[in-house]
Amino acid sequence: MSRRDPLLPNAGIVARREYRDRTRSPLFLASTLVLAAIAMLVAIAPIAVRYLDRQTVTRIAIVSADADLAQRAVSIADTLLNIPPPAADLAHWSKPYLVEVLADAAVAGRLLQDGNLGAVMIAQRRPSGQLDIALETKEGPTSARSQVLSVAAFGIGVLDWSARLPPDAGRDPFMTPTYRVDQVNGASDGGTPLDTRQVASRYVLGIMFVILLLISIVVYGMWVATGVASEKSSRVMELMISAASPGQMLTGKVVGIGSAGLTQYAAIAGPALVLLAFQDRIASAILGPDWVGGAPLGGLTPALLVGYGVFFLLGFVLFALIYAAMGSFVSRPDDLQTLSLPLSLLAMTGYLVAIVALGGGTGTMVLLASYLPPFSPFVMLARLMVSAVQPWEVVLSVGLLVLAIAVVAVAATRMYAAGVLLYGQRPGLRTFIAAARRG
Amino acid sequence: MSLDIDHVTKRFGATTALDRLTFEVGRGEVFGFLGANGAGKTTTMRICLGIIRADSGEIRWEGQHTADLPRRTWGYLPEERGLHPRMGVLDQLVYFGSLFGEPRDRAKREALAWLRRFRIADYAGRRAEELSKGNQQKVQFIAAVLHDPEVLLMDEPFTGLDPVNLILLREAFTELRDRGRTLIFSTHQMEAAEALCESVAIVDHGRLVAGGRVRDLKRASGRRTLRIAVEGDAPSTWLATLPGVDAGRHDANGTELELSPSADPSGILAAIVGSGAAVTRFELGEPSLEALFIEHVGRPSDDEAVLAGEAAPSSVRAGSPA
Repeated sequence: MSRRDPLLPNAGIVARREYRDRTRSPLFLASTLVLAAIAMLVAIAPIAVRYLDRQTVTRIAIVSADADLAQRAVSIADTLLNIPPPAADLAHWSKPYLVEVLADAAVAGRLLQDGNLGAVMIAQRRPSGQLDIALETKEGPTSARSQVLSVAAFGIGVLDWSARLPPDAGRDPFMTPTYRVDQVNGASDGGTPLDTRQVASRYVLGIMFVILLLISIVVYGMWVATGVASEKSSRVMELMISAASPGQMLTGKVVGIGSAGLTQYAAIAGPALVLLAFQDRIASAILGPDWVGGAPLGGLTPALLVGYGVFFLLGFVLFALIYAAMGSFVSRPDDLQTLSLPLSLLAMTGYLVAIVALGGGTGTMVLLASYLPPFSPFVMLARLMVSAVQPWEVVLSVGLLVLAIAVVAVAATRMYAAGVLLYGQRPGLRTFIAAARRG
Repeated sequence: MSLDIDHVTKRFGATTALDRLTFEVGRGEVFGFLGANGAGKTTTMRICLGIIRADSGEIRWEGQHTADLPRRTWGYLPEERGLHPRMGVLDQLVYFGSLFGEPRDRAKREALAWLRRFRIADYAGRRAEELSKGNQQKVQFIAAVLHDPEVLLMDEPFTGLDPVNLILLREAFTELRDRGRTLIFSTHQMEAAEALCESVAIVDHGRLVAGGRVRDLKRASGRRTLRIAVEGDAPSTWLATLPGVDAGRHDANGTELELSPSADPSGILAAIVGSGAAVTRFELGEPSLEALFIEHVGRPSDDEAVLAGEAAPSSVRAGSPA
């Protein structure tokens, strides 16, 4: 019969029913409330951690061949870094920085890499008498600490010059010390180095985004598959296929159930994001003004949000179509667990490569996976979060993803049309391929 | 002006489900599509609906290929009963009506009218899973007719209905036919088919073995049916062994004999009277549709006999003991 059925309005009618069926169920409401509460707890967890870690002290190492110079540097840096905030209660306030001398620059470098040191300041005296001060840090030169230590460098120069000042000072004029910041393993955004807080924020956000994407794809994808399988097991499918075409039903299911998933997702993530956005204010209220800093959403930009939205949507549609096709091949929802396992593993693979990318991995595997569906939604998203990605790479990744969705949509519709009439048979790989190829 | 099933062939792997099946259904007819289980009835209906494609041949409605017809041309009551279990009855009907292009308010009005007619208006707000199987079946029938389709395809519509609902459904059939709608249904209940159908097609293993007007088929068979009842209602199984009697069966209403064209009814009457029995009924008539079905398809298996009716009468072939 009408094999030229347009998608609308039937796909919309099916989508509406699927959406209402899910969002009006008490289970949906209960699970949304519980998950939203958990997400909010997770969002405020950093404040609790900060509260517990309020005695944490950042170590700064001074390395110099001249022991006197090293001591002078410790004195100045300690003074400038440990200025009590105006509102601080001095009786209970403790220094946030411990400035100490380390003899070996190599050891200090290793400690910095391992995260045991916040920075290493290397002070050397040139033959001319001028001091050369280098700051090794994972932060950029624009960070607050680098700026404070640049002032410290000048102070060290003054103190050192005045301490060595002979009676005939005119013979040895003061020379401003040179000061440079050597950034260690710094992340960048389009060539612009990111400071530590942004790097940390993006790493955390990247992990959050990728995990959310994985959960959404697997959980809401399974909703789609279960919805199809339930219709088959209740035999209402027989009535449905006379009223709507496979394409209309498949589209309606993916859109309707996907929208229900997005609604729950927004209900869970919304309050948590609000808490994250106001985390500094909350922390300020709980912990006091001296502990504010490191806003968790500091690394988030509108472009990244758009990128997340695009890859989330395309990734979900791609996987949901495959889940729907799979759901059409089982006679009972119970059989879905086994059948959906390979698909979940595929999503998990994308997630794992994305974690590698978030950790700074830039190998061929990461690059290829960031272009190729079905891994690209995870991996390109991760790359966008923590490293410089060329515009053509994003275009290529999105283009291939859209192409894959088009191909999968055609194959999934064919599989769905064949699968919904298949009862009591365990589908093998050959069945899937035959159904997908059949026109 | 008809539905033409024209040399339709469909294979599933090595199995030929339909083998050049050809027959015609007139517009505004109630048509019986009869056959044993697996004869190809559901496959034919699914091809009509475009759910599956024929390997060869085609199906036309009023000269138009079914692929060119709008979806709402058809109403379909599948053999597999099923509704969205957690969805309200009225919501469900409006939903199906909307899918067939009915405006929501009209679909709601029609649905309520049908629910009242089938005496289940009180269940309009209930979830489908709360309804009895028979009531669910009525809801499913309403879903198939709500958009007032030109052709109604029904796969075993009477299965599971009690006598009252059976009458309600038959009345609905008659009314739809009177409104010019074409109704095609498959059934194992030959009495229902006989009561409702002007024409039938009998298929066996995907092939048409008999088809046309029921009256013509009966006449063409040359067979007759003799219904006999005697005092005391003793099973007269020996009657089936008389010359010209092909088969006989006994039930609470007496004995029914299927006679071959050469049989002599007066000889049979003489034999009964000669046996000393007091005859209370002796009625010679056309063969039943069931007799025609069995003649063309063969006697159904035990399973099918159970499906065909709750009180399947005992049956004997000519010459076999009762």
